[in-house]
Amino acid sequence: MSTLLEVSGVSASFDGFKAINNLSIQIGKTELRAIIGPNGAGKTTFMDIVTGKTKPDQGYVIWGEKSVSLLDMNESQIAQAGIGRKFQKPTVFEEQTVRENITMALKNPRSPLDLLFNRAAADTEDRVRAVSDDIGLTDALDQLSGGLSHGQKQWLEIGMLLAQDPRLLLVDEPAAGMSATEREQTTDILVRAAKTRAVVVVEHDMEFVRRLNCKVTVLHQGSVLAEGSLDHVTKNQDVIDVYLGR
Amino acid sequence: MERAFIVKNPSVLWFLLGLSVFTIVVTIFSESAGSSVISTSSLKTLGKTLCLCLVAIAMDVVWGYCGILSLGHFAFFGIGGYAIGMWLMYDRTKNIVIGSLENNIMPPTPDEVTTAIGTQIFGVVGSSEFPLIWAFSHSLTLQLLAVVFVPGLLALVFGCLAFRSRVTGVYLSILTQAMTLALSLYLFQNDTGLRGNNGLSGLQNIPGLEDVSQATLSLWFFWASAVALGAGYLFFAWMLAGKFGFVIRAIRDDETRVRFLGYHVETYKLFIFTTTAMIAGIAGALYYPQAGIINPAEIAPIASIYLVVWVAIGGRGRLYGAVIGAVVVSLMSSWFTGGSAPDINLGIYIVKWTDWWLVLLGLTFVGVTLFFPKGIGGLFDLVSSRREKQQ
Repeated sequence: MSTLLEVSGVSASFDGFKAINNLSIQIGKTELRAIIGPNGAGKTTFMDIVTGKTKPDQGYVIWGEKSVSLLDMNESQIAQAGIGRKFQKPTVFEEQTVRENITMALKNPRSPLDLLFNRAAADTEDRVRAVSDDIGLTDALDQLSGGLSHGQKQWLEIGMLLAQDPRLLLVDEPAAGMSATEREQTTDILVRAAKTRAVVVVEHDMEFVRRLNCKVTVLHQGSVLAEGSLDHVTKNQDVIDVYLGR
Repeated sequence: MERAFIVKNPSVLWFLLGLSVFTIVVTIFSESAGSSVISTSSLKTLGKTLCLCLVAIAMDVVWGYCGILSLGHFAFFGIGGYAIGMWLMYDRTKNIVIGSLENNIMPPTPDEVTTAIGTQIFGVVGSSEFPLIWAFSHSLTLQLLAVVFVPGLLALVFGCLAFRSRVTGVYLSILTQAMTLALSLYLFQNDTGLRGNNGLSGLQNIPGLEDVSQATLSLWFFWASAVALGAGYLFFAWMLAGKFGFVIRAIRDDETRVRFLGYHVETYKLFIFTTTAMIAGIAGALYYPQAGIINPAEIAPIASIYLVVWVAIGGRGRLYGAVIGAVVVSLMSSWFTGGSAPDINLGIYIVKWTDWWLVLLGLTFVGVTLFFPKGIGGLFDLVSSRREKQQ
């Protein structure tokens, strides 16, 4: 399995507190990966570093076949390079319709002049439709996204990520606040997405992780504690001590 | 494609229709059409109001759509006025000077002419030298370019510095306010080359058109203002209708999220800030020939704040809202402060509207912000939602 993202020896601290401590993680090209860990383990900081929101004190973040360093790029460049991120709290543009939200996210040239003068791309409608079918929101295309339910907003946000056609999808607690059926559908969306790209899911909920049925990385105090299948890591004594034992 | 755009945005069509009807009606009742219903000075007020509407929709785009609360957009309006005013003043003075020197026995040398023009223009600030800033004032074409590009360039440089450092929210508002204050204070000085607090005057006289009466000139300017407002409205509506508009409104609501979608937010903000500054410059260039005079007080911070008040009262986030706000508030303002509003005698105290207008305006602003955040334009939503319910 060839590597898409390689994080090696990364440390980051805030006011002396080491949020990430010599962290190394590799993600393959088509892989579904779950990252779990107690609060403060550095899960969100890991995502912040990969997406350019936080700059680490040391270490490397290497991306793609050409092995470019993500640390020299800003957020929008990283997003354009093919890394999409879903935040913990669903953040969709509530005053705009579902269609407008997805249209904005579609992978297209992103400069102001492109948007002004190449507005009538013929396949836009089809591509929006494809995304909305995938997340089950086709009937709601012309609704304001502020009026959607919590679960639907989460899906819309995942859909917006899929529309960007990223090679790596970072998803922060997708199942938070969802009903059982909504969770099931979310799992389906993620598993389907991981067939053609890498998907990294940060999650608290063990049951959800079990359903994803994928390789799990356990973080603790900013570094990797254990890695492997869920059954493998749940048998690990360190993991039981710091996380599952509570 | 254009037809589809109009069909999708019926409010644009209604607006252009209303503007055309208004222009025709005003033309019919103007003095130069032989009517006495609308005096030339009222015609000028109406023409000026159209220019204020244009700068108001620019403000609405930058604030209501993109969320940048600029408290300095009137500076760009003023710069546009100064740019056109320099040509108007130079060329008219030149004609007068050449006319008066014609009677000399010796034909005047170019130097003498230049000095004479300089003395005429800069005599009030005790100088006769042409400052560098007037280098292009002989050319209408260059000054017209300046109307658009000087505000554009200022906005570009200012925006570049501010947006690059990710200055947002109230800090950005304060910076823009400081910009217009600094510009106004600078222009107040006598040695800046723009006649200090005297400003530029006599702008209502258009060089080369001395034989045309003010009644006719005012009508022409009224038409030009109407055309500029219509074109500006169409331009902004077109700009905001598509995906570009989605992104602009998304930046207003959550700019961090837009960044993670892969859009370079700063470029978009800069684009909006600069474009609206250019449109504001054009509006100013049409306004001041109708006003006749421009001085640094015009671009004092309060002017830009008025602009915000118009847009807030009219309803931000919709172009016609800005127009409504500009029309209602500026016309009411000139009615109340012009002395035509009847004073209210309370027995112990006489409420003079010239003093109390600002209080009324302030209360209205607070009231609108608290109770009708969508402004007057929000009433249209009420009407349309009621209609939908009935269906």
